[in-house]
Amino acid sequence: MLTELNRILGLAQKLGAEYADARYVSITQEPVSVSTDGAPQISVSKSTGLGLRVLVDGAWGFSATPYLDPRSLEKTADEAVKIAYASALCKKGDGVSLAPMEPKRARWQTPCKVDPFSLKPEEKVKFLIDVVESAKKVPGVFRATASIMSYREEKEFMSTDGRQIEQTIIHSGGSVSVMARGDGDVQSRSFADYAGGGFEFVESLDLKSKAETLADEAVKLLKAPVCPTGVTDMVMGGSMVALQIHESCGHPIELDRVVGQEATFAGTSFLTPEKKGSFRYGSPSVNIVADATSPGGLGSFGYDDEGVEAQRVDIIKEGIFTDYLTSRELAPLFDQESNGTMRAVGWENIPLIRMTNINLEPGDWTLDEIIKDTKEGIFVDTPRSWSLDDKRLNFHFGQEIAYEIKDGSLGRMLKNAAYTGMTPELWNSCDAVAGKDEWRIWGTPGCAKGEPVQVIHVGHGAAPARFRKVKVGVEA
Amino acid sequence: MIGKEDALKVLEKVLSFCKGFDASVTLSASDLSLTRYYDNHIHQNLRRHVQALTVQVVKGKSAGVASTNLLDDGSLRWAVQAAMENMEVSGEEKDFPGLPKPEPVQELNCYVPATANLKPKDRAEACAVVIGAAKSKGLQASGTYSSGVSELAVASTTGVRAYHAGTEAFFRTIIQDGDNTGYADRLTRDAREIDAAAVAEEAITKATLFPEAVDLPPGRYDTIFEEYALADLIRFLGMIAFGADAKQHGRSFMARRLGEKVMGDNVTIWDDGLDTASLAAPFDIEGMPKQKVVFIENGVAKGFVYDSRTAAKDGVKSTGHASPLRGGRFVPRPSNMFLKTGDSSRDEMLRSTKRGLLVTRFHYTHCPEPMNVVATGTTRDGTFLIEDGQIVARVKNLRFTESMVEAFSRVEAIARTARLTRDWWSTFDSVLPCVKIRDFSFTGSTMF
Repeated sequence: MLTELNRILGLAQKLGAEYADARYVSITQEPVSVSTDGAPQISVSKSTGLGLRVLVDGAWGFSATPYLDPRSLEKTADEAVKIAYASALCKKGDGVSLAPMEPKRARWQTPCKVDPFSLKPEEKVKFLIDVVESAKKVPGVFRATASIMSYREEKEFMSTDGRQIEQTIIHSGGSVSVMARGDGDVQSRSFADYAGGGFEFVESLDLKSKAETLADEAVKLLKAPVCPTGVTDMVMGGSMVALQIHESCGHPIELDRVVGQEATFAGTSFLTPEKKGSFRYGSPSVNIVADATSPGGLGSFGYDDEGVEAQRVDIIKEGIFTDYLTSRELAPLFDQESNGTMRAVGWENIPLIRMTNINLEPGDWTLDEIIKDTKEGIFVDTPRSWSLDDKRLNFHFGQEIAYEIKDGSLGRMLKNAAYTGMTPELWNSCDAVAGKDEWRIWGTPGCAKGEPVQVIHVGHGAAPARFRKVKVGVEA
Repeated sequence: MIGKEDALKVLEKVLSFCKGFDASVTLSASDLSLTRYYDNHIHQNLRRHVQALTVQVVKGKSAGVASTNLLDDGSLRWAVQAAMENMEVSGEEKDFPGLPKPEPVQELNCYVPATANLKPKDRAEACAVVIGAAKSKGLQASGTYSSGVSELAVASTTGVRAYHAGTEAFFRTIIQDGDNTGYADRLTRDAREIDAAAVAEEAITKATLFPEAVDLPPGRYDTIFEEYALADLIRFLGMIAFGADAKQHGRSFMARRLGEKVMGDNVTIWDDGLDTASLAAPFDIEGMPKQKVVFIENGVAKGFVYDSRTAAKDGVKSTGHASPLRGGRFVPRPSNMFLKTGDSSRDEMLRSTKRGLLVTRFHYTHCPEPMNVVATGTTRDGTFLIEDGQIVARVKNLRFTESMVEAFSRVEAIARTARLTRDWWSTFDSVLPCVKIRDFSFTGSTMF
């Protein structure tokens, strides 16, 4: 498609674009799911097209088309330029200027052992039937579902700055969810994880044995007491820490939110520019990096959708906030070059600043040591609900499961758990993070942002961690 | 835009490729133009045409699904072949009722050329009105103006043939005065109904009313919810409780309480996809005609929406509410919810409030406890304290955590007018009045 990309960039320049970039994207997805109350669901989808972004008179325009014939390319270029001229009617000062970039040609591919599309659908179905059967044999289970996600994205990028990048991105993942019901109540337990890589990742999840454990827990939750309300020490499991990072660290560090570009939908950020380099975000135990190069991360890639190299950037160092996620347009606010986080979903959307893998670096505890060291508190895991204010300060998270902690041991199982608080207070109360053995990158395939909304794949390195004096319980 | 003739021609071609099988084909398409602005200038501006053709092939009780966004013969044949291969390995679903038979579908004129033909310059000029109004008062404007056409065509070997096109324009703004913000929007089929100056005035008034925000402790307050805010309270009932799948799985609070009083006498909630006061569409993704469904009538639990699969299970007809899930699956969900209007007004509610709150809208609402539809979220863009019948202060944003079943049992007043509005996530477009709820539970506060 390099010929078409070259052609449309030429057309845009002829029509007046001072800068243009074009992306050809072809995405194939094959979700397969099996449940105890229906036949396996197998589907495959393909989406292919081209998006063109132009700068004219310092203002942006974008148009996208699924058709690549010469007439469609001309129409798309004409449309993008006309839109940019309209944007220029309401521009600020001299308009947009981009951080510099050297010309480069490159190719990148997700490391992958077993191409997830090389397996026949019937093999995936058989794999998933084993998973749901494992859950179904637990008495009291009402419904179990399991699924596999296979994703391939072929992308070619070209810009008038001389960047020409080809990438193949492969993502795989699996999930299992179990529902139990009784006495007018329904309780669910689930597990899901996704990664950059092939079917070898799905096999490593051991969904079959997880399904049995989850089923047992779902049934027990029906008779468990409701998590009491109060203020107590809280230990989060890895999947819960991953979501806490996503919502209360990952989103506030997006520089487009900070300056107000997402005010009307996703919101802004409490992390205003004067905080960079000095704000105490968390305790000294809190070290967070944005790492688009993490092996196996769902937010890993070679180049972003401005053609900028994937990078590893310190975000919070020993509790101090050090840097934002940036773009070529916004990085110059801090006299910086882009740290490579502009990504678009598919061909039909504009790139936005998106999380990569936002990782809490491992500490030197074990989960066992953290619990033994906790006199009284609760252990919570697996997100069930999440809600934050529009600056990402006040949060409320619900969990599928919790346990009391008494005198250094796990006690009763608790249902309908939740906790609430303020972002910097929570991270400043973090005094223990588990180490490498219990650290993993959790794949989050559902990060939403932008108008029209774009749902993108990101990752979060996380390990179990302890937070002191947290308000817990659903107080209605 | 594809158009009825071309859309149905594509579907007929796909059906002709499905020899020896039953098949259902849907073609959905969207021409969207969207302009965004912040800090008093336009920063994103786009147009895109997206389309998806999905084919489901069926043999006995086995089905397979594939979809493509390309409509050339090679892509269409690939989709049919891929769906057939998926069907061969999917196995049988014992409760699968087969593809639905055709039902008469009402024609609705929801296409407004003035909206479909809106130009980038038209949208920029509307944005400039708000930006100009904000600048003149030393304020900052952010917002979005989207316009476009959506099309849905459905055809099947059982005889279903349906096509619908509708336009939509959505204009919204947030005006910022330091930490204080105010919001306004307009959602309509006809872009000519959008008065940018009126939107600006509404949001500026909210942003500048009582500049010093006060802290208010969490607690229970009599609260007036503007239509924008109510959209977020009602969405959890729609998402969690009103679908027949939730009834069949026992996940809805109404599952075992049909015919019982579950909310206040003054609460009647229904879905009507044919009422053009909403963004009506005459049929669902299965091509089944929309039926009016009453969920709550004078506080009594009355019914659920169905797709063909859940309908067959309960031995009833689909109500035309199949909503697509990933992977070609459907779930029944409301599409156009209405809350029955009352005999009050926002001003009358204010005057009757001794001490309470006025909430403009919510942010990032979610449901931590689905069985009792406990929702949580934070207020934004204008929360005010009412004392002795008057607004007396701006309040820093608050978090609510409250069972929607209980909240709708304490509705004290409902406005006599309703408007088309959309929750923050755009889950539903509903026609809602302003309401006042007694002792609404706010459980936390924030710093702005």
